[in-house]
Amino acid sequence: MSRLYDTIEPNVVSDEMLQQAVQEQGPQGQAGIIAKEEGILFKDVERLRLDYRNILKIENLWQFTNLTKLQMDNNIIEKIEGLECLVNLVWLDLSFNNIEVIDGLDSLVKLEDLSLYHNRISKIENLDNLKKLQFFSIGNNDVDKLENIIYLRRLEKLEALCLDGNPIEQVEDYKLFVAAYLPNLVYLDYKLVDNDTRELAGLKYQYVIEELQHNENLAKTKQEEEQKEQEVLQLHKDAFVEHLNGPFLFDSLFAEDTEGSKLVQLPEVVPLLETYRSKFLELCHNIFNNGLKQHQRRQEELKAYHEGKEEAVKTNQDIGASKVAEFDPVKEQFHRDIQEITDEEQLKSRLAQYHSDIGELHNSLMMLEMQLLEQLKDISEDFERNMTEMVVNFIEYVQGLIAQLRDLEGNYNEKVLEIAINTLEKAKRDEFDEDIPEDVRMLFVDKDTVNNAVSGSHDMHLLKIDNREDSIVTRANKWCANVVTQVHREEKTRNRNRVSEINQYTNHLRDNAAKYELRHAA
Amino acid sequence: MDVPAEGVEGENKQPVSENKDEAEDEVKVMESEEPLDDKETSEQVLELQELEEALSNIPPEPPSVQNKIIKHVLRLDEFPPSYKENTPKERSIFAMIENFRLQYAYLYPDRKPLILCPLNECRVQKSVCTTLRPTLLNYPETYSWDGCASFVSDYLIMEPLEPPTDPPKYLYSSSTVLRFQQGTCFDFAILLCSILLGAGYNAYCVSGYAVKELCLQDQSRQQCPHIGTRKQKSQSAKKTPKSKYSVKPPKNLNSSFERQQAENLAAEERKQEEAKKRELEQEQPPPDPLHGLRVHCWVLVLAGKREIPENFFIDPLTGLSFSTVDERFLGVESLWNHRNYWINMQDCRNGCKDMTFDLDDNVKWECVLPTADEERKEEVDEEGDHEEPRIFEMPSSWVRKIEISPKEIKLRCPGGRKVIKYKKAKLEKFSPYMMSDGLTMRLTTYQDIECTSVVEAREWFSHRQDHLEERKLKKETVVTTEYFKPGRTDALKSHRYLTMVPGAERQMDFYSQARTDGLASRVELSSEMRETFEDRPDFLYFQHVVFGKKEKQHVPGSGETNSKPILKIIQRFHHNHEKAANDDIAEKAFLISDQRIQLTYHREVDQIIPPRKDFFRPFISGGKQEPKVNFSPNLMISFQVNPLEKPVKNLLLYELLTNLLEDEIRAKNHVKMSENEVQSILALRSQEELESKLTISVYDTDRNERALMHRQELEHAKQEERLHSAEKELDFLAPFLIQLGDPKNINFKMAQQLKEDCLSDLKRRLIDKANLIQARFEKETQELLKKQQWYQQNQMTMTKEDEDSYLSYCSEAMFRIHILELRLNRHKEQAPQKYLALEEKLRMDPRLAEYLSK
Repeated sequence: MSRLYDTIEPNVVSDEMLQQAVQEQGPQGQAGIIAKEEGILFKDVERLRLDYRNILKIENLWQFTNLTKLQMDNNIIEKIEGLECLVNLVWLDLSFNNIEVIDGLDSLVKLEDLSLYHNRISKIENLDNLKKLQFFSIGNNDVDKLENIIYLRRLEKLEALCLDGNPIEQVEDYKLFVAAYLPNLVYLDYKLVDNDTRELAGLKYQYVIEELQHNENLAKTKQEEEQKEQEVLQLHKDAFVEHLNGPFLFDSLFAEDTEGSKLVQLPEVVPLLETYRSKFLELCHNIFNNGLKQHQRRQEELKAYHEGKEEAVKTNQDIGASKVAEFDPVKEQFHRDIQEITDEEQLKSRLAQYHSDIGELHNSLMMLEMQLLEQLKDISEDFERNMTEMVVNFIEYVQGLIAQLRDLEGNYNEKVLEIAINTLEKAKRDEFDEDIPEDVRMLFVDKDTVNNAVSGSHDMHLLKIDNREDSIVTRANKWCANVVTQVHREEKTRNRNRVSEINQYTNHLRDNAAKYELRHAA
Repeated sequence: MDVPAEGVEGENKQPVSENKDEAEDEVKVMESEEPLDDKETSEQVLELQELEEALSNIPPEPPSVQNKIIKHVLRLDEFPPSYKENTPKERSIFAMIENFRLQYAYLYPDRKPLILCPLNECRVQKSVCTTLRPTLLNYPETYSWDGCASFVSDYLIMEPLEPPTDPPKYLYSSSTVLRFQQGTCFDFAILLCSILLGAGYNAYCVSGYAVKELCLQDQSRQQCPHIGTRKQKSQSAKKTPKSKYSVKPPKNLNSSFERQQAENLAAEERKQEEAKKRELEQEQPPPDPLHGLRVHCWVLVLAGKREIPENFFIDPLTGLSFSTVDERFLGVESLWNHRNYWINMQDCRNGCKDMTFDLDDNVKWECVLPTADEERKEEVDEEGDHEEPRIFEMPSSWVRKIEISPKEIKLRCPGGRKVIKYKKAKLEKFSPYMMSDGLTMRLTTYQDIECTSVVEAREWFSHRQDHLEERKLKKETVVTTEYFKPGRTDALKSHRYLTMVPGAERQMDFYSQARTDGLASRVELSSEMRETFEDRPDFLYFQHVVFGKKEKQHVPGSGETNSKPILKIIQRFHHNHEKAANDDIAEKAFLISDQRIQLTYHREVDQIIPPRKDFFRPFISGGKQEPKVNFSPNLMISFQVNPLEKPVKNLLLYELLTNLLEDEIRAKNHVKMSENEVQSILALRSQEELESKLTISVYDTDRNERALMHRQELEHAKQEERLHSAEKELDFLAPFLIQLGDPKNINFKMAQQLKEDCLSDLKRRLIDKANLIQARFEKETQELLKKQQWYQQNQMTMTKEDEDSYLSYCSEAMFRIHILELRLNRHKEQAPQKYLALEEKLRMDPRLAEYLSK
């Protein structure tokens, strides 16, 4: 950079400067006068130009939240900063500055056009969030490595790129490289990337590109799969039965249970465990399937309720709107009359009549709202009852099955205890099977140890099952309560909004009438 | 076809023949019965000639027929032999049939004689089954049964049976019927049945009894099928099933008893009214004395083939289909197709209601030609005179192939027009291109049964260049409605009007897709104009303009009066879902006379009151170039639904107002343009009505005038060429005649002189020509010689190229000389011949002949 900025007085972005710029660039003529009278708020400004002002640091722009176009070219800015609040920015020009690093653009997700021409940037980076970027100018910089091009692959909307005047231009076949790696690019250095170039590039970098693409595709499909899995899990969670379609719960029984897993290694327990496991899984599956079914039914119920409610509200609204529309001619008539009537008495009676008309409108609208309120109350009560019933049924079903799981566990436990005692006796007689590992043998020292181990394992299992049951029950109940309160809340806000709307309107009508009254009195 | 019948069918009272040998006798018997039908002996050939003469004198049709029926003269020599004689096979079948008939007459003496073997146009006995000739017509119209039926009913003119209680004695072939385009119901049915059989239907001719209306093609008590409104978009009332959570309706506090009483009263009144109306309408026709005796012939189509799901009748006279239980068909005597003949054995006292058409059921249907299994049964019975079990097969048809030209298919009705009277309606059909304005159908509906006061006249057009499709004129309101097909430049779809004068009340509908402004309809009343739009990018869908009284001011120069002043313009917009509802204008009302502009916005989903803004029109100063709007916030009254919302800034209001003022100007211009458009459309329409042009397909070689002109041009050119070539044979005497002063008459001396001149001239020319050739010849030789000399002199110093060029020159020169030599010789040979030829020609010339031939 040839500019020696220490010889020039750097400028600061001050309120004064901003005011001036806004006013200069704001509306002109009659509109300008009005704007000046009223004053322009920074947050209403959509375009701002701050060029040739020797600005060193971007600052004090946080008020311009609605800015879509910002030009700060031909300054001496060294760092991109202070733009975090300008989230609506579409157009950003920072060309002819002294910027060295691309940074601070992460919040500008709407950016489509970015110009960093004639700066000192050597690496293209930190553009990951600019998904909408279409035009990117980084000419006359210090970009020298081809890797920078590969970085730009993530900007899928990018159509025009300017790399003019960078050291990278000296690299052999740089244009072909760009054309190959950025297939969506239409213009490079202000010139159309024609089909010949594209073909040539495609041939030259065929294998590299294919590999790259393959890898990208793999990553993409993986991501998609993960997302899908996540969605399915979420569905299961919404149905309160996540992981019950697999051995997750069963496995968790033995996960923290050291004694239990030791006992399992006894040869007699193995077949027992097998049957226990299969029965257990079957029950889990039942819970799972029922849970999904119930979930779907609940959703349908919810939908039916909302549909019914929306329809009722809609018909009621239509009636109300037509009533309001019917009032328009009355209003018009009043305005016409009031201008013609000169007699005081007559005027008064006319006003009184108009007021009573307004009152009538108010009453009829309120009546309508009351009626709707009643109707909605009925159906929301129905809904509440049905939904609670459904959830209770579901919980009862789950509890029943979980009781069966407990029975299974008890059964298993009894048998294991039997086997353990037998084994203990064998151990006393030193008739251990050869293949039982040492740590298992350690269990069979005396009867208490064995009993403790078995009952400890049993307790552990029961605890797990109970926990699971509790989680399902509490979550289901909580969800139900949530839905019901939500319904009530919605209805309440709707009602309040409507009442306030009606009042607002009638007040507005009365105020207007009063204005006439005043005018006439005066 | 009521030729005085000779043979009386009832005469045949012979006992049923028992032996095979008698079969031939039977034929003879039959022949003797009907003396005009004979081919067997040579005497009869003579008789045939007599017959020919006689026939040519006998009018085949009775003169007393309602419809204007033309008398046709039949010439026997026009017919192929199959019309005039019977094959041995036919004869043996006749024997069979006669046998059957006798048995039938014996067993059922009180039943009417059957129509089995009537006479044809050559007075030859033919079986009705062989009169059917299955034919497939190669026209798309005749592919389905309804197309065939309507064609037959349109194409032929009906003659009533005479007497109406007997089947005809004569049954003409379909080809003859088609030629004369007229026939009885039997002719109709046979033609239709032939076409249907050809098209693959399982069709039968039915001979039976029907009510008078059917027999006489009288539809004046039927509803016209064309009455009915134009296809409107069917608004199917889609009622969603009641949801579980639909709300209860609010309590109705009106007395249901009172309502019920009122309803009852109304229903009673309505009923009475309807009854009265019905009475008026249904004036019963006078009872028919011949009810149940009138013979009729129609077509039965049995289910099965061509995906016909159910049996039905077709009345060939009207071309309409009826159910087989229709009460207008009173009874069936017999039915036949091209293979067999069945006699109904079922009771027809209740009409055709209880009849079944299972033809394999021997109890209900007796067939004439036994089918294979019947054969066996009869054998077992050992009844009758059966020699060997043999399957009799109906011989193939004697009728000539049924041929209808494409032109006739298009013309349809005889003379291209047909009038049908329906109940309170009259339908006139015209073939396309016949009427100069493209009229194809006219339906006039009347208020009363006598058809005196017109209610409505509807006309259908085709091939109009202005795409007019239908015109409807209501007599009472004098409202005319015209419907257009898509394709007009102004995209007009329909036009309702009282008069064509601009400014009158009218409604125009448009094909909105075809218009850039998306205009769908425009209604004009005396002081209003309403326009609706569809699919506009600015979401405008309705514009309502109210006009004031016309100003009585004539603009000098332009003959028009000032257009009416606009009092207000209201524009309504659909919701643009990209905008928030409360920021999206739903209605702009420019109250021009009140100097106000009212804006109404769309409602948010949960609102019932739309936000509004009322502007008073500001004072505009500063001239036209730079108008200055004097804006102040007091000019506006605004209502916002949400009380917490901040008031809009003045700058935005100012911008909004200036935009609105611009909009107002634009809207005014639009109104003016609309008025102009209406005027231009009306002008165009009246122009089109004055000279209605018809479009002609490029493939229509008959009517396409350009093609015709092209052809004519070609022909013309050819003719001209011929003329030209004729002119080429110029009068060789002309120059010599001119020398003689072009005399009118040539005397002997002149002739001699002419001849001399001519011949000498020719001689001179021949010699000249010879000299010319000679001169050229000599010149060539001279040159060649010179070249040769030059060559010999310079031979030593020549280059190779020069030598080559010399050699090639030599060979060319030699060739030229040779040719000239040949030409000279030939000229010498031909010259005398030419001379002689001219002399001959002179002698033959009509002008000189009389003087020179001597």
